[in-house]
Amino acid sequence: MTKPLLSVENLTMHYTTRGGEVAAVDDVSFSLHEGEALGLVGESGCGKTSVAMSILRLLPDNARILGGQIWLGDLELLSLPEPEMQKVRWGRISMIFQAAMNSLNPVYRVGDQIIEALELHWGDISRQQARERVAELYQLVGLDPALMDRYPHEYSGGMRQRAVIAMALACNPDVIIADEPTTALDVIVQDRILKRLTEIQKKIGMAMIYISHDIAVIAEVSHRVGVMYAGKLVELANTVNIFERPLHPYTAGLMASIPSIHGEKRDLVTLGGEPPNLLHPPSGCRFHPRCARATGICIEQEPPFQDYGNGHYAACWHPMEVDYGSH
Amino acid sequence: MWRFLGRRFVQMLITLLLFQAVTYFLIDAQPGDIADLLTLDPNIPPAERERLRAQLGLDRPPAERFITYIGNFYRGNLGVSFQEYPRPVIDIIKERLPRTVVLFLTASILSFWTGFVTGKILAWRRGGWIEYASTITGVTLYTVFTPWFALMMIWLFAVALNWLPAGKFLDPLKWLDAPISANAVFARMIWSSFFALVIVFVGFWFSNRVPRRQRLVLRAASLLVPLVGMLLYWRLSGLGFYAWDIARHLILPVLTVTLIAYGGTMLLTRTSMLETLREDYVLTARAKGLPDKVVRDKHVARNALLPVWTGLVFSLGNSVSGGIITETIFSWPGIGLTLLNSALVADIPVAMGTLTVVGVMTLISHLIADIGYAFLDPRIRYH
Ligand SMILES: Nc1ncnc2c1ncn2[C@@H]1O[C@H](COP(=O)(O)OP(=O)(O)OP(=O)(O)O)[C@@H](O)[C@H]1O
Ligand code: SF4
Ligand SMILES: [Mg+2]
Repeated sequence: MTKPLLSVENLTMHYTTRGGEVAAVDDVSFSLHEGEALGLVGESGCGKTSVAMSILRLLPDNARILGGQIWLGDLELLSLPEPEMQKVRWGRISMIFQAAMNSLNPVYRVGDQIIEALELHWGDISRQQARERVAELYQLVGLDPALMDRYPHEYSGGMRQRAVIAMALACNPDVIIADEPTTALDVIVQDRILKRLTEIQKKIGMAMIYISHDIAVIAEVSHRVGVMYAGKLVELANTVNIFERPLHPYTAGLMASIPSIHGEKRDLVTLGGEPPNLLHPPSGCRFHPRCARATGICIEQEPPFQDYGNGHYAACWHPMEVDYGSH
Repeated sequence: MWRFLGRRFVQMLITLLLFQAVTYFLIDAQPGDIADLLTLDPNIPPAERERLRAQLGLDRPPAERFITYIGNFYRGNLGVSFQEYPRPVIDIIKERLPRTVVLFLTASILSFWTGFVTGKILAWRRGGWIEYASTITGVTLYTVFTPWFALMMIWLFAVALNWLPAGKFLDPLKWLDAPISANAVFARMIWSSFFALVIVFVGFWFSNRVPRRQRLVLRAASLLVPLVGMLLYWRLSGLGFYAWDIARHLILPVLTVTLIAYGGTMLLTRTSMLETLREDYVLTARAKGLPDKVVRDKHVARNALLPVWTGLVFSLGNSVSGGIITETIFSWPGIGLTLLNSALVADIPVAMGTLTVVGVMTLISHLIADIGYAFLDPRIRYH
C-alpha cells in the first residue's frame, strides 16, 4: 500500500474541567490516503470534533494532547513550531466547521474573506487573480460569482454553506475536514450540498475526512468509515464491509438505526441506554454498559484494536462475525 | 443615505423644538421675572413696573412670547445677556462653545482610542497581575465620584507636583501685551491642530495601501511633517508663547475627563473581546492560518468594536452633565460653566441659549454615532 497522506497515531487528548479530566480522545489511530474520503461517525459527544481540532491544533486552552503523533507526509504536526503550523492550516489542511453557518465574519464581504486566505498562502497573487480564483470557486460550488461582493447576512443558509465550502477549497489543500457541514440546513438543501461536495471531492481528487453522526450520510460520501465511541475508535473498515459485516456490536446497532429505504432518518438514540460520561468512562470496554454481548472480560479489560484482515479493524472481545475469510 | 440624513435632520429639528419648548416653559414657570428684579426698589411705582413689563413684552401670554422667541432664535437672534448687558447671547456662545467642544472632543477621542487599544490587548493576555491591576484600575475609574477625582487630580498635578495650572483658560499676567485676543489664538490652535490631524490620518490611511517598506517611511513622514509644521507656524507667528499658555491650561481637564471615560471603554472592550473570541468566525480565522495578531485585530477587535461604539453613545449623554461639573471645578469657561453661572444669576437669555446648545450638541453627537455605526456594521442600513 502507498504511504498515507495523513496518519493519526495513538492520539490521546483530554480536556481539563472543573469536574475533572474529560477523556475526549483515547488512543485513536487511522490514516487517510490521497483522494480518499474517510467518514468518522459516532453519537454526539464521542470526540469527533476533538479529533479534527487536534489535527489542526486548534484546541481550546483547557485541552491537552497527552500522546500520539500526527503525520502529514513527512511533517509531524503535533511537534511543528507554530509559524510552520500556520502554513499547514488552510494551505494543506482546511476545514468546514460544524457551525458553518456562523463561520463567516459578518463585517467583511464574503469574497474578501476567501481572498484573505489566498493572499496569505499564495503570497504573490494579485488582487485580480484572487478575484478570478474566487469566481472559479463560486462556480464550482454552484454560487453566482456576483455574490462575492456581498456580506454574509445577504446570503441564505445554503448559500453561506456553499461559500464556506468554496473557502475551504480555495488554496487547493491536500486534506479537507468537513465536520457535520450540513446539520444546520433543511433536508433538501442538505442533500444538494452533500451531492455537490462529493462531486467536487471526486473531481479534484482531494482527500476528505467527513464527520457526521448520521450513518446514512456517511455511507453516501465515504470510501472508508471509522466508528467512534466515547473517545475511542472502535471500528474501521471500507464502507461496504462496515455495512455488510459490522464487527463491533456498537456499529451493528448503528446499522440497525438506518431506515431500510429512503424513509425518515432515525437517530442513534434507538440504541438504548445513556451515552457514556467521559468524565468517568466505564472500565474495560467503554461500550459494556450498553452492550448485549458483554461478559466479565469486557468490564475488566480494554479490547485491543485488532486487524481482522482486508483492512477491517475492530476493538471488541466478542465481535459479531469473526471469520472474515470464509465469506 | 441622503434621504436618511434629510429625514434625520427633520427629526432633530422637531426634537430640538420640543426641547426648547420644555425648557422655555419650565424657566417661565419660575416665580418672578426680570421686571421684578429690575424694579425691586420700592420707590418705583406699580404703573412704572407695568410699563416696563409691557415694554419687555412680559405682559403677553407665554405661548405668544415663546413663538416670538423661537422666531428670533431661528433668525440667529438669541437675545442679549442680562449680566453682561448688552452683549448678544450668540456672541457669548460663539466664544465659549469651541472651548467646550475642544475639551470634550479631545478627551472622548483619547479615551476611546486608548481604552479600546488597552482593552483589546488585555483580553488577549489573560491571567497574571497585569489583568488584575488593569481591571481594578478600570473599575475604579469607571465608578469614581467625578468631583472628588477632579479635585484629586488638581491636588496632585497642580499642588503637590506643581506641573500644571489648577484651572482657568489662561494666565492673565502673561497676556498683558498680547498682540491678538485669546479667542483668536485659540481659534488658530484649533485650525492648525485640525490640519495636522488630517495630514496624519491621510498619511496612515495611505500607508496601508503601499508595500511594507514604504509603509514605515510614509507613516514617519505623516507624523513628522505636521509636527515640524506646527513648530514652525507657532515659532514664526510669535504666538507660540500664548498658545502654550492655553495648552497648559487645557492639559489637566482633558486628562481628567479622559481618565474618567477611559475606564468604561477599556472594561467594555475587554468584555466584548472575550465574547467575540467565542464566535465561530474567529475559529475560522485561526484555521485559515492567520497569525495571532491578524486574528485579534482584523477579526476579533473589529467585531468587538460594535458594542463599544454603542457604549460611546450612552456615555455621551453623561458627558453633558459631567461637563458642567468638570468645567466648574477647573473654572474652564466653556458652555457648562456659562450655563451654571447664568442659572445662578437668573440670566435667562443666556441660560436658555446655552441649554439649547447643550441640546444641539447631544443631538449631533447621536447623529455622528449612528452614522459611525452604519459604517462599522454592514448589517445596518439606513434608508
Ligand atoms: N472545551 C471543552 N472543555 C471540556 N470538555 C469538552 C470541551 N469540548 C468538548 N468537550 C467534551 O469532549 C467530548 C467530545 O466532544 P466533541 O465536541 O469532540 O464531540 P463530537 O463527537 O464532535 O460531538 P458532536 O456530534 O456533538 O459535535 C464531549 O463529551 C464534550 O462534552
Ligand atoms: S468488548 Fe464486550 S462490551 Fe465491548 S463491544 Fe465487545 S462485546 Fe460489547
Ligand atoms: Mg462535533
